[in-house]
Amino acid sequence: MKKRNYLIALIAILALVVAACGGDGEGSDTTDGATDTTTAPDTTEGATDTTEAMTSTTGGDDELIVGVSWNNYNEERWALWDEPAIVAALDEAGATYINSDAGSSAEQQLTDVENLIAQGADALIILAQDGTAILPAVQSALGQGIPVIAYDRLIEDPGALYITFDNVGVGALQAEVIYDLVPEGNYVIIKGNAADANADFLRAGYEQVIGAAVTAGDITVVFEEYTDNWDPALAQTNMEQALTQANNDVQAVLSENDGMAGGVVAALAQQGLDGQVPVSGQDGDQAALNRVALGSQSVSVWKDARELGAAAGTAAVALAQGTALGDVEGVVQFDSPGGNSMTSILLTPIAITQDNLDVVVDAGWIDVGTLCQGVEAGSVAVCE
Amino acid sequence: MTSDSNGTPLVEMRDMNVSFGGVHAVENVSIDLRPGEVLGLVGGNGAGKSTLIKTLSGAQHPDSGAILVNGEPVTITNPRDAKAYGIETIYQTLALAENIDAPGNMFLGRELTTSLGNLDDSAMEDATRRIMARLNPKFENFKTPVASLSGGQRQSVAIARAVHFNARILIMDEPTAALGPAETEQVRQLIRQLKREDIGIILISHDIHDVFDLADRISVMLTGRLVGTVNKDDVTIDEVLGMIIIGKLPGELTTSELADLHG
Amino acid sequence: MSVTEAPITDQEQVPDLPVGGAFKSLVRLTEIDTRMLGMFGLLLVIWVGFHFLSGGTFLTPRNMWNLTVQTSVVAIMATGMVLVIVSRNIDLSVGSMLGFVGMFVALLQAEWLPQLVGFDQWYTWIIALAAGLLLGALLGLLQGTVVAFLAVPSFIVTLGGLLVWRGLAWLLASGRTVAPMDRTFQLLGGGARGTVGGTISWVIAAVACVAIVILLASRRRTRLKFGFRARPLWADVALAAAGCGVVLFAVWFLNRNYMPEGLAMAHAEANGLEWPPEGLNIPFGVANPVLIAIGTAILMTFITTRRRFGRYVFGIGGNPEAAALAGIKTKRTIVMTFMLMGTLVGLAASVQVARLNSATSGLGTLQELYTIAAAVIGGTSLAGGVGSIFGAVLGALVMQSLQSGMVFVGIQTALQDVVIGAVLVLAVAADVLYRRRQAT
Repeated sequence: MKKRNYLIALIAILALVVAACGGDGEGSDTTDGATDTTTAPDTTEGATDTTEAMTSTTGGDDELIVGVSWNNYNEERWALWDEPAIVAALDEAGATYINSDAGSSAEQQLTDVENLIAQGADALIILAQDGTAILPAVQSALGQGIPVIAYDRLIEDPGALYITFDNVGVGALQAEVIYDLVPEGNYVIIKGNAADANADFLRAGYEQVIGAAVTAGDITVVFEEYTDNWDPALAQTNMEQALTQANNDVQAVLSENDGMAGGVVAALAQQGLDGQVPVSGQDGDQAALNRVALGSQSVSVWKDARELGAAAGTAAVALAQGTALGDVEGVVQFDSPGGNSMTSILLTPIAITQDNLDVVVDAGWIDVGTLCQGVEAGSVAVCE
Repeated sequence: MTSDSNGTPLVEMRDMNVSFGGVHAVENVSIDLRPGEVLGLVGGNGAGKSTLIKTLSGAQHPDSGAILVNGEPVTITNPRDAKAYGIETIYQTLALAENIDAPGNMFLGRELTTSLGNLDDSAMEDATRRIMARLNPKFENFKTPVASLSGGQRQSVAIARAVHFNARILIMDEPTAALGPAETEQVRQLIRQLKREDIGIILISHDIHDVFDLADRISVMLTGRLVGTVNKDDVTIDEVLGMIIIGKLPGELTTSELADLHG
Repeated sequence: MSVTEAPITDQEQVPDLPVGGAFKSLVRLTEIDTRMLGMFGLLLVIWVGFHFLSGGTFLTPRNMWNLTVQTSVVAIMATGMVLVIVSRNIDLSVGSMLGFVGMFVALLQAEWLPQLVGFDQWYTWIIALAAGLLLGALLGLLQGTVVAFLAVPSFIVTLGGLLVWRGLAWLLASGRTVAPMDRTFQLLGGGARGTVGGTISWVIAAVACVAIVILLASRRRTRLKFGFRARPLWADVALAAAGCGVVLFAVWFLNRNYMPEGLAMAHAEANGLEWPPEGLNIPFGVANPVLIAIGTAILMTFITTRRRFGRYVFGIGGNPEAAALAGIKTKRTIVMTFMLMGTLVGLAASVQVARLNSATSGLGTLQELYTIAAAVIGGTSLAGGVGSIFGAVLGALVMQSLQSGMVFVGIQTALQDVVIGAVLVLAVAADVLYRRRQAT
């Protein structure tokens, strides 16, 4: 019974808040369903969408507001690289940045998107926790004439702009480096979170490269498993199981990201195999780049998240100003697994191996000291 | 800690006051207890008996009043203090930890330890066996949690605990309430024996016959106040009932009021 | 021993099991806790089951060796959780605390200390470990004080902790992954170098065996000295033999987990051993984290059964008013249980970070659930007053066996979660039924 009272109180408070927020703009229509995303932005007369009421209380009416819905700050890159890049792009265009963090909860993210809309966002950038669960919020936003950018993770709605590094391409890059080193033998594949579409994209990329060899029997996948939450500790345990099962007869490991690669390398090290078995990763984590320098990881596919953020920020402003989806600079059509033709900006990732570590150093992504910690003198050029 | 021959009471409580947020649970109550005596403390529900003796056993802070043990004023702020003065209590709920065995409960809070400071379970079990041999020779379950014992067995553990630690003043709150006739008789025997050892007992009971059987003097409380203290030999049960229910001393009760008590 | 298990000496206490009279007499005379027997049985069923399902790879020295290491972190924390739950509280924050303390310990040795004194100093690992224990103790002290002195329910306080420590873990390093750890510190987590070798493992086994015999003998002597009924001599001898047997067998089995050739050769070279043409089987020996977990379990069992503190925790759990009336300082005791829990989390965090050789801000996510599950499966009742350290360690082993086994068999992660949840509920239900039967 107490729970019900709680709920009633909560609803009452929410109602008060909504009532307080709404109602001070003039003539705000409550429906905007018919208009498309190219409608003129907010002006003081004749508001065209329900966000008008809130924007007049927050910023100037000319100023664009871009809302970013993060799924979770857990991976090191979001706050370190993506966010500052987006903010910089928005600052340059004179737009305001508002954001929310869903704490890994798909339901929370639905609420977050609604809140951002209520706060007057003219365009949304969504890093989806779950690309399918977020669809209602996306459709609602699009229906209200607010353009949506699917950031890095796919959202199966052709009305959204999909900006990502070509994740299938990332997978292919990882696999190319490893396949080059190990054209024959036993492979272990450590995948990410099962509910994350990216995990399957990366796997598809692997398939592009090693698929033929697997069919021909040159490569055998002795172990393949998803990892809840991309958890490195879990990846370590799974890798230990893989090695036990295969009696250490493993020649290569495709790990979908750097965090899990850390766990994989720890498991290999326990059997003295680190440095002998090539391991892949992505994200350009500082710890991973250090492993690349040390030789225990063969490649980390680096997606300059700053590029992604900048592209998203710029595109968001363009869309908010009324540019049509197809007219945004740099878009191509991408066929999604769900059969949608997504308007996309696909950025090119770079495979960082021991040979081109200077790229990340020169780009200011990592300093030489951190990169080269523990590296033997004379083994890596960029560390001298 | 025995009384001296000129009759200093074992325990004296003077003008005790306890209030809970405006409600006077105990109001200016004074009682005393002599060695080898059983003082029956009676009264209806909410009379304040339990609250009063809690101030003596250290489980309740009085707002004002004085407690003297053997004529010396003492300060009792927690159960440990009370025990240090030789005051032991057997609570109505027995205050036993169900998950711990009899020796563990006996020594709860004052465990016997080895020279290294570790629990000396064997010494505690041994001591408990000796004590129970005196009090309840048929008791056997020394290593099972008290939860598996019968009501009477638990009672004997609670009593043993109170009696073992050289108590001079024993407070018994409804000791026979949950017992059958045979076990009640055992408790009565125990009380008589303790009297012989010069231990003073404050006995709280709702069973007026028990009180009359065992007590030497009877103090009656009503809504926090002391109605009066009488010698058992000087009064009848009805007169005591009159004190409990109506609040009048024996001399003050009219015949019709006395008759009403049986209505 | 009188509070954590109920050794059966009296007729009416033999549990009502659907087995024959001979077994019942055996149980009664040896005073074995049938619940523990049941746990062992469950473990065996799981192990044998997975052994067959995995085509014979589960019950191998290598996999069992891995299993012991994988169980360590949760086992360490579960021993502390037992006392918290016994005293009628709960600690939901241990996973997040592990993440926060782990991140702190990692930053200390990977960044902060190196900035001051450089990498790989001989004392780096000591400072890092001590800092971890201290920080854990402080966090526990904080939570315990709020629970005991401000009377806020532990569920709420530690729920808050779960959120706060996780947030702080992220803030400490802005979500970065911190790596690598100090070389000596890494030994705490096992790995190739973090084991004690075959010989020392045997020594430890021998010492354990001797200790078991001494323990049984001294308890027997004390019982007889006081004139109590002791186990029949054959029962004591049988128990000693069984205990010794299990320990020796376990070490023998785990010692058959040999180093792969590369490591073995390096080891031989480093120790001046000749390398014969057919190679050498060099055992890893017991891993450090396992020793740490076992040592922790022994220490916690000692505290629980032989120290007043342990008795007070159980007293408070059984009847808080009785404990207070007995003069026990209940609030202080509660604070201590949380402080102890925090310290153990600090230890577990150090082991976890050493094992992974890095710290992420998400480290320890959901571990509070596994820790509580381990304690509960091991016989700790959420109603308070009843619990067993040894059981909690077994419970941790059960949970990890399930998880690792399912990976072997190739069961997908979502289904794994279903199985673990179901097993948890079934195990506790069985326990509840068992206790109810005991009581009637």
